[in-house]
Amino acid sequence: MGHKKIAVAFAALLTAGAAAAHHSFSAEFDPEKPLKLTGKVTEMKWSNPHAWIYLDVTGTDGKVQNWACETNGANGLIRRGWRKEDLPAGTTLVVDGWQARNGSPTVNVGTVTFQDGKRLFAGSSNPTVPQQN
Amino acid sequence: MFARVVFVMLAFGASAVCFGQAVPRTPTGKPDLQGIWRVQSRAAYDLRSHVARHDMPAGQSVIEGDEIPYQPWAAEQQRKNFASRATEDPLNSCYMPGVPRIMYLEFPFQIFQTKDHVAITFEWSQIYRLIYTNGQPTMHEGIESWMGNSRGHWEGDVLVVQVTDHNDRTWLDAAGDFHSDQLKVTERYALRDANTIDYEVTIEDPKVFTRPWKISMPLHRQTDVTRLLEYQCQAEKEEQSGAFEPDTRTWYPAAPPAGNVAFNPRASARLPKPTVTGEIARLPDGKPDISGWYEPDAGGANYGLETRAQNFLTPASRGIVVDPKNGKLPYQRWARAEAIERALPYRGYDDPTAHCFIGGVPRSQYVPAPLHILQPPGYVVMLFERMSWRQIPLTPRPPLPDHVRLWQGDSAGRWDGDTLVVESRNFNGKAWLNEVGDVITHAQTVVETFTPVAPDRILYRATVTDPIAYTRPWTVEVPLNKKNDELLEVACHEDNGDLTHLKEIRDDYRATHKEQ
Repeated sequence: MGHKKIAVAFAALLTAGAAAAHHSFSAEFDPEKPLKLTGKVTEMKWSNPHAWIYLDVTGTDGKVQNWACETNGANGLIRRGWRKEDLPAGTTLVVDGWQARNGSPTVNVGTVTFQDGKRLFAGSSNPTVPQQN
Repeated sequence: MFARVVFVMLAFGASAVCFGQAVPRTPTGKPDLQGIWRVQSRAAYDLRSHVARHDMPAGQSVIEGDEIPYQPWAAEQQRKNFASRATEDPLNSCYMPGVPRIMYLEFPFQIFQTKDHVAITFEWSQIYRLIYTNGQPTMHEGIESWMGNSRGHWEGDVLVVQVTDHNDRTWLDAAGDFHSDQLKVTERYALRDANTIDYEVTIEDPKVFTRPWKISMPLHRQTDVTRLLEYQCQAEKEEQSGAFEPDTRTWYPAAPPAGNVAFNPRASARLPKPTVTGEIARLPDGKPDISGWYEPDAGGANYGLETRAQNFLTPASRGIVVDPKNGKLPYQRWARAEAIERALPYRGYDDPTAHCFIGGVPRSQYVPAPLHILQPPGYVVMLFERMSWRQIPLTPRPPLPDHVRLWQGDSAGRWDGDTLVVESRNFNGKAWLNEVGDVITHAQTVVETFTPVAPDRILYRATVTDPIAYTRPWTVEVPLNKKNDELLEVACHEDNGDLTHLKEIRDDYRATHKEQ
């Protein structure tokens, strides 16, 4: 993980523009279901207009569930200097967001934080979360 | 006489024949490839010589030596692909065909040339290629995409284009011929005569093939069409299957509802002339040079044209309606009710852009994604990062028949002083104005102005006249800010993780609100 790259990303992120959604997130996610997840990255899909981070999260019962975490599109991340290598499988992340209305393990990402407290990217489509670290 | 010849050449661009020269040329002396082109070969079905099948007309080989030098494992994979092509061909899923396959689909495409670029706009799903020919290095390297990264240069009279950064999800034809992400494509475009391009492609992929190999075929100028139309592959597919449902109130040829009040076309306010600061760049002909990469500063217009507060996951909107002065859309009663209904979760599925269909006009201009403006001879071309294009001819074309309706409409442009004025009609009424569902119908006509107000800014205005949904015309205003950047690809439908979920929410609602 290049720390220089993170610094670049942070700088860019302060001036990040409007969220680049392509459909109404409020249709898909539930304001009554905010949640915080800690897990290990199994895969990241660098797609547009939304990217997806898949996280293995261990529940209180010890069972591991794979969560799909939806963020802003890959192009926004690329323009902020992020590349695939920056988020390898096994990276531990904390995700704050809102769960899907259908109760599936799907979350709209507000913030993503590394274990050391560094904020990853505020590629959030969620305007309620401040877009800076 | 000379002036007349020059006039004819300017007016008809690529179709002008230069006396004593084999091929038409641009003012800078390069072969002029501009115009509408299409293959006649059957390469799209199978690059090899092949006999006919039900889903495949017969064709002769376009491969040098009629053999694809597969590695043994890959030859086996191709045979499997061929057997399962009905379900496995990515094109049947309306995924972007990649390069070179897009070039020999049986859909026309149009080539534009500027001093820095060759742009190709395709009728197939309104995708495009923007080929840098000015030697500018790639800004975003190593980003894998469906259509790859194209960089070109001229070798004498031949345009040579190198395409890299392919993903491994496209095929080379409908017969299951394939490649990996190690693919390197080198294309050569040589103008044989005014109506023929000799198109040659060298394909290299050390993971899949034992050596580089070549295909070649002529591209033929389409002399019997006036413009590209639209083939929105996924939209057509979903309309046919019923997954995307027609709206009889907005889609062509919906009639105005009985309760509508009379439309007042004269209610528009006269907007102040934009203030210009700084020196505006100009083209050799003196017109403003508005070319380049732009980002709309639309302040959340994709979530509401009127001022609106943030609402859970829907960002706030600054409000971009400048006429009427109160910033409110002058809705007919039914259309306001419909807009409110569309903001409910169960209607999220109905937004065409949730299906990754194209935005329409004016929405394409203010979605939160960049666009690149090009000014080739006779046109202004806009390439939108969310994979669609608009081409605006600056010389009149014969109008389309009324019943030919398009997502992006049919546009005509002219310069009024330093302002580009674009009038568009023939819309299909399928688009929404934004995610929260502001309403527009097929009755819309749009007059847009693009005024360069600073070296790095265009002031964009769009006046929409739609007597079915509104009581009077209205106007939105959005600055477009020029930056030094390059378009990336948005392969939306190819990776749409949301639609199934939105459909579930819609279906659940329908199941619990069944009509009595």
